[in-house]
Amino acid sequence: MRKTLTRIICLVVVAIMALGCLVSCNTPDEAVNYAENNTTIKVGVSGPLTGGAAMYGIAVKNSAQLAIDEINAAGGVNGIMLELVAADDKHEPTQVSTTYTTLYEGGCQLFLGTVTTGPGIQFKDYALEDGIFYLTPSASGDDIPSADGGFQMCFTDSNQGTASATYFNTNYKGKKVGIFYKADDDYSVGIKNNFVKGLDASFGTPVEASFTGDTAMFDSQIATLKDCEIIFMPIYYTPASQFMKQGSGTIKSDAIYFGCDGFDGIDAVAGFDIKSITQEVSYLSHFDSTSTSGPAADYIAAYKAKYPDQPLNQFGAAAYDCVYAMVDALNKSGKEFSATTSAQDYATILKEVFTSDTFVFNGVTGECVGDQKSTITWNDDGTVNKIAVKYVVKEASAN
Amino acid sequence: MKAKKIFKKITKHYLNYAVIAAVMLVFIILAYATPMKASTSLLFQKITVAVIMAVSLSLVVGFLGELSLGHAGFMSIGAYLGGKVALVLTENGNLEASNILVFIIALIVGALCAALCGFIVGFSALRLRGDYLAIVTLAFGEIVRVIFTNSSAESFGGALGLKSPSFKTKEMFILVIIGFLLILLTLFVIQNLLRSKTGRAITAIRDNEIAARATGIDVTKHKLMVFVISAAFAGIAGVLFSYANKPIKADTFDYNYSIEILVMVVLGGMGSINGSIISATLITILNDKLTVYLTGDNAVFKDLFYALILILLVIYNNAPALKGFREKYNLRALINKIRKPKNDPSEIRGDAARWDVVPTKIEMDEVLSTDIIIEKNDRGDDSANIRERGGTK
Amino acid sequence: MDFITMIINGLSIGGTYAIIALGYTMVYGIAKMLNFAHGDIIMVGGYTIVLFFPISPVVGIIASVIFCVIVGIVVEKSAYKPLRGASPLAVLITAIGVSKLLQSAAQIFIGSESKGITVNLGEIKMGSVKISVLTLITILCSIAVMVALTLFVKYTKTGRAMIAVSEDRGAAQLMGINVNFIIMITFIIGSALAAVASVFLVFKIQDVGPIFGAMPGIKAFAAAVIGGIGSIPGAMVGGVVLGFIEAVCGMIPPITPYTDAIEFAILIIVLLVKPTGFLGKKRREKV
Repeated sequence: MRKTLTRIICLVVVAIMALGCLVSCNTPDEAVNYAENNTTIKVGVSGPLTGGAAMYGIAVKNSAQLAIDEINAAGGVNGIMLELVAADDKHEPTQVSTTYTTLYEGGCQLFLGTVTTGPGIQFKDYALEDGIFYLTPSASGDDIPSADGGFQMCFTDSNQGTASATYFNTNYKGKKVGIFYKADDDYSVGIKNNFVKGLDASFGTPVEASFTGDTAMFDSQIATLKDCEIIFMPIYYTPASQFMKQGSGTIKSDAIYFGCDGFDGIDAVAGFDIKSITQEVSYLSHFDSTSTSGPAADYIAAYKAKYPDQPLNQFGAAAYDCVYAMVDALNKSGKEFSATTSAQDYATILKEVFTSDTFVFNGVTGECVGDQKSTITWNDDGTVNKIAVKYVVKEASAN
Repeated sequence: MKAKKIFKKITKHYLNYAVIAAVMLVFIILAYATPMKASTSLLFQKITVAVIMAVSLSLVVGFLGELSLGHAGFMSIGAYLGGKVALVLTENGNLEASNILVFIIALIVGALCAALCGFIVGFSALRLRGDYLAIVTLAFGEIVRVIFTNSSAESFGGALGLKSPSFKTKEMFILVIIGFLLILLTLFVIQNLLRSKTGRAITAIRDNEIAARATGIDVTKHKLMVFVISAAFAGIAGVLFSYANKPIKADTFDYNYSIEILVMVVLGGMGSINGSIISATLITILNDKLTVYLTGDNAVFKDLFYALILILLVIYNNAPALKGFREKYNLRALINKIRKPKNDPSEIRGDAARWDVVPTKIEMDEVLSTDIIIEKNDRGDDSANIRERGGTK
Repeated sequence: MDFITMIINGLSIGGTYAIIALGYTMVYGIAKMLNFAHGDIIMVGGYTIVLFFPISPVVGIIASVIFCVIVGIVVEKSAYKPLRGASPLAVLITAIGVSKLLQSAAQIFIGSESKGITVNLGEIKMGSVKISVLTLITILCSIAVMVALTLFVKYTKTGRAMIAVSEDRGAAQLMGINVNFIIMITFIIGSALAAVASVFLVFKIQDVGPIFGAMPGIKAFAAAVIGGIGSIPGAMVGGVVLGFIEAVCGMIPPITPYTDAIEFAILIIVLLVKPTGFLGKKRREKV
């Protein structure tokens, strides 16, 4: 009896104390300037540097570093040097609480957000609460951009899906369309849904096949899609290359594999000899990592010189553009800023520039005509305006 | 004299409550007195979830002696269903995400749904044991993951994840305090369960199911009870998780996460609740800190390290060949040596009387088979021993 | 014609699972432990093939078998042998630890990005159906492996010793069988089978990553359990059942994403209805 009593008293006391504290809850509202001891402007990015998506994160990190080194070599921003801080979120939303606080409390002032969409939604939540600005190179989810300070360098998934559908409607009328997508990937499902919605009636119902996780035996999917003349594949290049290799004998030999920006880099996949398949491989994207001329090629050359053995893809190019776009915006803003200006103040400056109608950025992603850099503008809701180009990685080859 | 007795009692039986309550009080004081960094409260939040998960898994693995590889599946159910309920309530009622009433409803729904699934899995535990049951729990976790991942966008968000309401980082400390209270609740339920007749029945089932059945213990009831309670607390941890994360993605609760919790339980010492609490706390802090310092392929060194520790620890604790060594150099024996003179009669009662040191099955086996091994010392394997022991029981 | 394609796909996937499942079944039957690391030994084999592939595919296959066997022996000697006689729970947890260890070691030494090769063995036309040569080889090989293993177990001294150990370890030892040696042989055969499975998987998928073997491993275990663990034809039956489920689910788009869930659900149902699987023998538990 005594025991029970002591126990209950113990719990009740603790509970009352805790609840008492809860009831009178109010938190200090003043924002702390974590950047007050900075000597450089810190640029933060959270991306997968480990695990299956590491190639995207590493490309982003390297490219941002490349852009920052170039800017610093040219004298920095108003004489202030830049510094990159990269945190590893492993492509898991649960890691963002760590990466975000590491970046923000570590004094980062400019943010590239996250590399991928899943963690990006969590990042957006934190960022908007703290009132900071981010320009993400490649988190393409429809939920990522925000009029309150979330901007994208890549197209949103729905825009990619719709743009691909429009391209199909004008160029591939009447062909038998198949779709191969990854059912547990938000990027893939997002694009696929909008693609199906945008496709006009002349195509009928496209044949769909999907896979999940790391399933890599695609026999059934190949059997389902074997009669299609054009296969839309809103997936990343690793599973795409596996599908192409496995399906090379069964899929129609003159079929077209049509991808999105995730396809970029498919011809560089280790161990995938793209010439061994007969089908055409194309994709609609804002960047071509095999460019041999123009600003894109200059970027590629600089990247390869600095990181010869590291992954190179459109994620990196977008990150390279992101750093330049933010610096460009700071230069054009005409506002005062220093190395110790808080992230919130930077956010105010950048938001004003990015939402202004006159801000035009010239970068390496988008359509570069000749030696001209592309023109990129932003809508007030944070989405990007630039021209997507269809790149043909490999023509169909009969044999 | 009386005060001394009460103090002794507290240190013996209620020490973990007292420590957790003290940590909570320090946290509350810190949260109100100083502007707390978001990273601190987020870290504490992760710790509370991990502790509840580890303690609830410890009940199944350490005390019932069955391996569950799908514990994250129960958490997933709690997170998704609790999150969904909270989402519906807050959106339809235009309530704040931090509305405590909604939180409590979500908590109850999450716990109940997870408990229901625990009942179903526990049902298979009635027919299966050991490796088979482990594979069933693994299968259960995978099924839950696949179903939530492929759910429609309107129901559970599908591949995009469920955007359930969550606390703002500035209010996260409230969630941490609730988390601490829930840890106390978990401890209260599970410890009292283990210290009761039921708890002794559960450990009896672990040590020898057939013998337990023979003595009249209702194995069915106890097994189901353990799975239901364990699942319910995993569900509660899931709701806590859903209130701190956005979006909730089914991939978070995969097989690897179940293993991570298992590592916490094993490192803390199977059959020790306090050990689970400590190791869950340490591993969560370590994970959090290492995320910052280990990047690129180096980050995998952490996994390598855990795997290595897991193997070495299990071998150290269980290898029949290391028995003598283990008895000589044992942390608990060392502490006892320092703490008390040798001939204290209170120690002779042995650890069976202590709720926190329930002898594991392995120890029991060894106790029962030691003599036989010494007599026929050319025997390396156990089968003959099983035969012999059968006779003694 | 879709129906025939489906059957062939089912047999090809099922054959691969069956070979992996044979490894599980043998180790489980004789060492009485669930070797969680079996799937990761497949991964080791896969990497070995990719590494040696540029030299010659045949060299790759041989190297893969040798390397898998070495890894199998090392794992058995260092992690499992000290625990012989300990509780099943301890052994199972160690096996999980070994599985994680191999995965993370692969990531550290080789990197998290997957490594690929390009293989095309061509197709054979049979009437109106095209069958890839690899599929045919997979099906034939898995049948051959099963027959060979059955003969080995039934008609050789070592094989009969294996049966004896699996039935009663203590009695087998009294009859003069070296139990540790037999368990070692089992692990060698299991690892070699893993290497064979890795050949089919690598040639089919043409891409190897650190968790390459994890899912096929778990599914093959499910196959072994469905067919009845400890039974060689059972592993084949279980593998083919799962192969067919996968083939059928793959052909019906709305349920394709649920393939894994369906397979695991069938596993649970089989276990609950008939815990010994289709062809497993019922074993009385000794008190």
